[in-house]
Amino acid sequence: MDALLEFATGPLFRLTFAIMILGLARILILDLYGMWEAYRKAGDKTIPWGLTISRTLEWIFPVKRVINHRPIYSIVAILFHIGLLITPTFLFAHVELWRSGLGFGWWTISPMLAEILTIATIALGLLLFLGRVGSRNARALSRKQDYLWPLVLIVPFITGFVCANLTVSPNLYQLSMLVHVFSAELIFVLVPFTKIAHCVLMPLSQLVSTIAWKFPAHVDEDVATTLNKKGAPV
Amino acid sequence: MKTTPINDEQRAKAFAPNKKPEVMERQNLTVRYHVEDFEVEDRPRRFLEAFAAILRHSNYRFALDHFIRLSAKCSRCATQCQVYLATNDPDDIPCKRSELLLSVYRRHFTMAGSIRGRIFGTGHLTDEALQEMAESFWNCTACRRCTMECPVGIDHALITHLGRYILSEIGIAPRALVVSTREQLEGKTGNTSAVPVPALVDTLEFLEEDMKEELHVDIKFPVDVENAEYVFFPAVSDFLMEAETLMGIAAVFTATGDSWTTGTGYFDGINYGLFYSDRILERVVTKIDVETKRLNGKKVLIGECGHASRSAKYFLPAHCGGKDAFPVINIMEYTYGAWKAGKLKLRPNAIAERVTYHDPCNIARQKWILEQPRELLKAICADYVEMTPNREDNICCGGGGGTVSIDEIRPYRTTVGGLAKADQIRATGAKYCVAPCANCKKQLRELVEDQGIDCEIVGLHDLLYKAIEFDPSMIVEPEPEEDEAVEPVKPDVAGSADE
Repeated sequence: MDALLEFATGPLFRLTFAIMILGLARILILDLYGMWEAYRKAGDKTIPWGLTISRTLEWIFPVKRVINHRPIYSIVAILFHIGLLITPTFLFAHVELWRSGLGFGWWTISPMLAEILTIATIALGLLLFLGRVGSRNARALSRKQDYLWPLVLIVPFITGFVCANLTVSPNLYQLSMLVHVFSAELIFVLVPFTKIAHCVLMPLSQLVSTIAWKFPAHVDEDVATTLNKKGAPV
Repeated sequence: MKTTPINDEQRAKAFAPNKKPEVMERQNLTVRYHVEDFEVEDRPRRFLEAFAAILRHSNYRFALDHFIRLSAKCSRCATQCQVYLATNDPDDIPCKRSELLLSVYRRHFTMAGSIRGRIFGTGHLTDEALQEMAESFWNCTACRRCTMECPVGIDHALITHLGRYILSEIGIAPRALVVSTREQLEGKTGNTSAVPVPALVDTLEFLEEDMKEELHVDIKFPVDVENAEYVFFPAVSDFLMEAETLMGIAAVFTATGDSWTTGTGYFDGINYGLFYSDRILERVVTKIDVETKRLNGKKVLIGECGHASRSAKYFLPAHCGGKDAFPVINIMEYTYGAWKAGKLKLRPNAIAERVTYHDPCNIARQKWILEQPRELLKAICADYVEMTPNREDNICCGGGGGTVSIDEIRPYRTTVGGLAKADQIRATGAKYCVAPCANCKKQLRELVEDQGIDCEIVGLHDLLYKAIEFDPSMIVEPEPEEDEAVEPVKPDVAGSADE
């Protein structure tokens, strides 16, 4: 099991993390390229930057929107995102691993805060899952991945909590650590290929929408020609 | 926004079949709006061909790629859709509506979807799916409230717009819009209401006489004046149905002295292309450009109409010269600017009754024109009240997206689409609801009638007409009529303006 753990925390971690980073970079570049191409073709190249940026910021820091509609769901979702990002990034044990690998680390959160955030993230993930199951509207829209993601995302938190607090036997610790590492790596691999890609794409959405409404000039004839409708009556 | 969903009786009324069964059978289409006969065979293949052609030449592909990658399916948009809140039908959730088209794109136009579909033999576009799109995309009023509420920023209105465009390329589009557009682009009159030029000129002369009688001011509707600052394009239906709005606009220009004109070559701001076809949108907006050039005008002035304003403002630059295109302004911007500059004098408290303001989606959602009409109304109304929500968060009249022109779905528009708006208007207790948009006015009039609300729907310039203070030098003595020639009666100018 030691060898497996070593493999999981060594080469496999590097591979899966690279897949995530490169995968996200790929879709980000494709997105930006698509936007540039569309902008280049657009007949009207004026972009209302003020409105686009303010609406983007409204959703990155969704204070105004939260209170207006579905406040409980919104607060749960926002806190869940905070827990997901803050806890693994600033956990002392994780930063130490980065420090040993990269030669540098960064600011960490206290063990107490880490525990509170871990428990909160687990609870919030479960609430999101239950909220989806219990909501008629959400059920009408949901795919399998929509139900699974909150549960998959809290697995590293549960196992991390077990490793940090329930050290009743070395075997349990090792098993928990294995599940902790493998589940995190599974998430890394899935991120660029599923809706979690919103972590890099969402800030671009308002600009995408703005540019998409900037139609290319004189497409009428091109579309009509392709469809053999040139000169056809309305 | 809270709306009590419709009950079974209202549902039956809103969704009552209104087409002959033989027509639906012949067209193999069960939608409630009328559709001209089209080629029924092999529709899915033709839909995909049209989709491919549009993707090839347009800017939609990158946006669809973006949307399919991050759709979170959170259902938050459901809280904002007045159609869903009225029907309580999950099929009306904007995100579900968008998925109808996104799933086709994913399956047929992405590599992963195509491979998955071929391996498992699933996801082919079917006639049933087309039917669902044809129904769903025209249940939507394209108001864009859902887009504002999507945390990941999916533009459901853009997807609905594209879905309608593709459907129109295979012949599925509301007959009412197609017939009007045909007249506008290929008919003798060249406008959606089929108003001939002599009738237009007669109407304007009649209105001039009317205004002279009422205000004792020589107010003109300049026609075919070259080199004017503003070339005017109202919704052409205003010439038939909104005389008071037009009179208000003419009165404003008379008071300010600025040059403007209506062209007899083309005088229709309506652009149904915005609702169902980018190709139509381009062809119609080009007519505005041609007419403005013909008259050597400086700016395009759009009347009180939301979609006409949006289609000219955002798509004239797209198709007619980019930054060199004619500047487009809405009449409310002009009037507000003239008032702020001191060129237009308005009488405070000219309107004693309670007044409220409805923001047309096409000019408010993008925060284009929000405060100008409010300031003008506050300047002339003794009792102005707001609806809630308002401005960019406004609720659609229920006839947006071109649905107001589809007369056969009026029960749907006034029972489902306009239900939230009816609640909003009722709550204000207003005597006048100002709706500076030809489409909104028609829908709201039908709405207050069908919902039994005691409120009169008017345009902004209808009220301004009653509040303009003309320079005394503009007041002309009425010519005595033959039988009154012996004892002329002095006009009560202020009194007549109040009427």
